[in-house]
Amino acid sequence: MRELFFLPDIPPAAQLPWYALLLLCAAIAGEILERWLRLPRLLGWIAVGAALGPHALGALGERSLAALAPLLDLAIGMVLFELGQRVDLSWVRRNPSVLGASVAESALSFALMYAVLVALEAPPLLAAAAAAIGMATAPAVVLAVTRDLRSQGQVTERALLLTALNSAYAVIAVGVLLAWLAREYHGDWRAIVLHPLYLIFGSVALAALFARATLGLLALLGRRREAQFLCVLALVMIAVWAAASLKLSVLLALLGYGAAARLFDHRRLFVSLEFGRLGTILLILLFALTAASLDWRLLAAGVFAGAVLLAARLAGKFVGVLAFARPSGLPVRKASLVALALAPMSGIAVVLTHETVRLYPQFGASLAAVMVSAIALMELLGPLLAHFALVRAGEAAAQAPA
Amino acid sequence: MTPERLQFAASAPLTMGVELELQLVHRRDCDLTRAASDLLALVARTRHPGEIKPEITESMIEVSTGIHTQHAALLAELEAIRAALVAAAERLNVGVCGGGAHPFQRWSERRITDTPRMRSVSQLYGYLAKQFTVFGQHVHLGCPDGDTALWLLHAFARYLPQLIALSAASPFYQGADTAFDSSRLNAVFAFPLSGRAPFVLRWEAFNDYFARMRRAGIVESMKDFYWDIRPKPEFGTIEIRVCDTPLTVARAAALAAYAQTLARWLLAERPHPVTEDVYLGYTYNRFQACRFGLEGEIVDPLSGERCAIRDDVLATLARLAPHARALGAQRALEEIAAIVRAGNDARWMRSRYADSGSLADLVWQQVERLRGAA
Repeated sequence: MRELFFLPDIPPAAQLPWYALLLLCAAIAGEILERWLRLPRLLGWIAVGAALGPHALGALGERSLAALAPLLDLAIGMVLFELGQRVDLSWVRRNPSVLGASVAESALSFALMYAVLVALEAPPLLAAAAAAIGMATAPAVVLAVTRDLRSQGQVTERALLLTALNSAYAVIAVGVLLAWLAREYHGDWRAIVLHPLYLIFGSVALAALFARATLGLLALLGRRREAQFLCVLALVMIAVWAAASLKLSVLLALLGYGAAARLFDHRRLFVSLEFGRLGTILLILLFALTAASLDWRLLAAGVFAGAVLLAARLAGKFVGVLAFARPSGLPVRKASLVALALAPMSGIAVVLTHETVRLYPQFGASLAAVMVSAIALMELLGPLLAHFALVRAGEAAAQAPA
Repeated sequence: MTPERLQFAASAPLTMGVELELQLVHRRDCDLTRAASDLLALVARTRHPGEIKPEITESMIEVSTGIHTQHAALLAELEAIRAALVAAAERLNVGVCGGGAHPFQRWSERRITDTPRMRSVSQLYGYLAKQFTVFGQHVHLGCPDGDTALWLLHAFARYLPQLIALSAASPFYQGADTAFDSSRLNAVFAFPLSGRAPFVLRWEAFNDYFARMRRAGIVESMKDFYWDIRPKPEFGTIEIRVCDTPLTVARAAALAAYAQTLARWLLAERPHPVTEDVYLGYTYNRFQACRFGLEGEIVDPLSGERCAIRDDVLATLARLAPHARALGAQRALEEIAAIVRAGNDARWMRSRYADSGSLADLVWQQVERLRGAA
């Protein structure tokens, strides 16, 4: 056969057609949902990912998912960086009640989820870790929905800020709890103190370093959109790699990187940052692949526990945000919509669950079982709730002609 | 329903009031943002003088003062309103700034406020309604009766180029330098009912004109006239509408007091005859003021001589001095003289943009300037 080397292998070995199929289906599904059902596009991307994933049709096998992992990392990095850019940490200085709402909603949803899980007879540490993971709102969902609707206003701004903050709390809380577990499993006292400290200060230092470097580079490049875009894209890649290599929190580092780049940018060197079409492709991959990696059969098994957990979580977010509605200068109706927009849960929870599984296999396996059904439920409900909240708040842009 | 005949409510002569349309901008990208209703709900909970009201889009609000006779009191009220507004905006993380137009917003992005009037305006005027996202200062001057109001309105026509040039603050529009000092007025001129009031000097005659226009179905109320100066019979005032919203409330107060002093001089000394002739070269002069600001050259409609607007302002200031003393408006007139020396807001905006090269940064500096920080 060597002399017929020019003929194709059968079957074709390349992954490319499958990825193309994924993007094509996602594009079509997204348009169908957007145009005819007036639902958020990303639900279509999630559905396509779930359908093509290893647990359903299997067009994307475990190996293809692994091959796409670097792109997924980049997508997560971009989402976190953009979210960081879009929140204004100095706001909490001018309006401390916004920080109050953030702490209250996170603490309450943590406490209520913990109570539910303990009532379901989960061991306390397991319950605490799961509740900590559950505090976080999905940055990718909130970001994708606000981008899709081009929404503007108080509900949008507050949902973005609270999302960034509760994601950061979740990482820190999980870090502390993991350190605690480290003591139970390995009996090492140093880990309980040093691990969270390393995680927090290391990530923040990395964020500050990259923000300074970015602004220095931008000062040289000037306000040219394309040059800035490429420069930031490259630096985000390096930051994701650096955070992962140093075993820091990618979430904290990238979120902090985006926020610090805005905080330090006194001269407004950044032209308005839009990841545009590339950003959309990365988001499609992010949602589709997250959905593909979820084992949806577990949904049925834990649907009741999952639903109760989600109800407790949402109740915590409502009470927390509403308690600070008036002092923070927001009508009660809009505050409820902010709480609703915080419902999405997925990306981060999945990442955190996987990180936990990687570090503590014994612990992670049982934890994952509790979380997966809640995550799977919210995977579909979350984008709908966030979409609904922003539209009802009157913050979505009018339909622009295509 | 507006009554068949417009009643001109008498008001104390030479009283003044100011309305300012202000921009609401996002603190990150400095583009116009949707914030008016939340901001209004929040300021409604605080005690503040004057009124703060919604406008045609969610990125715009209007503040208005009470009725004043003194420049100092007017300035104090404007500063108090500004303080209340800025405090509320800070809590919502929104920027508030002056200026006649946003330097880089895209008109197609704007959304019209959802009220029946705004909807019908939008339907009638199409893209003009969205293009009309511009920000002006309106100055009301009290008049004892309709006849005086009409006389003063037409006497003022000669001086409008001065007010345009002094207040001009919209050199950038849709992301580009327009070469105009006030590009905002070009957005106003596109409307069919813009321009000037018909030359009548008797309130009864004006009422006949209005009734004819209404019967013809061209207008429903006085609101449909977008004139440079229009009578406002229910307030008993004439309303000067050519000024861009300045970058500071101090300048807004000074412009109002300048108009008040001009009115006192015109009414007391009747320095020139008021006939149809005051409109000779009116649109040419207005163009010069919009395009070149204080450097523009106008033709005096009565003598036919050309002069630079800056010299025209200085000559007028010299004649106003005794009236300024009588009204307590000396400080306002000093500020007007300072604008002539140092340049209008449009010049300031161009120099800031030349320094930073960023229109977003320019908007941010406008926010700081209104707040009183720069």
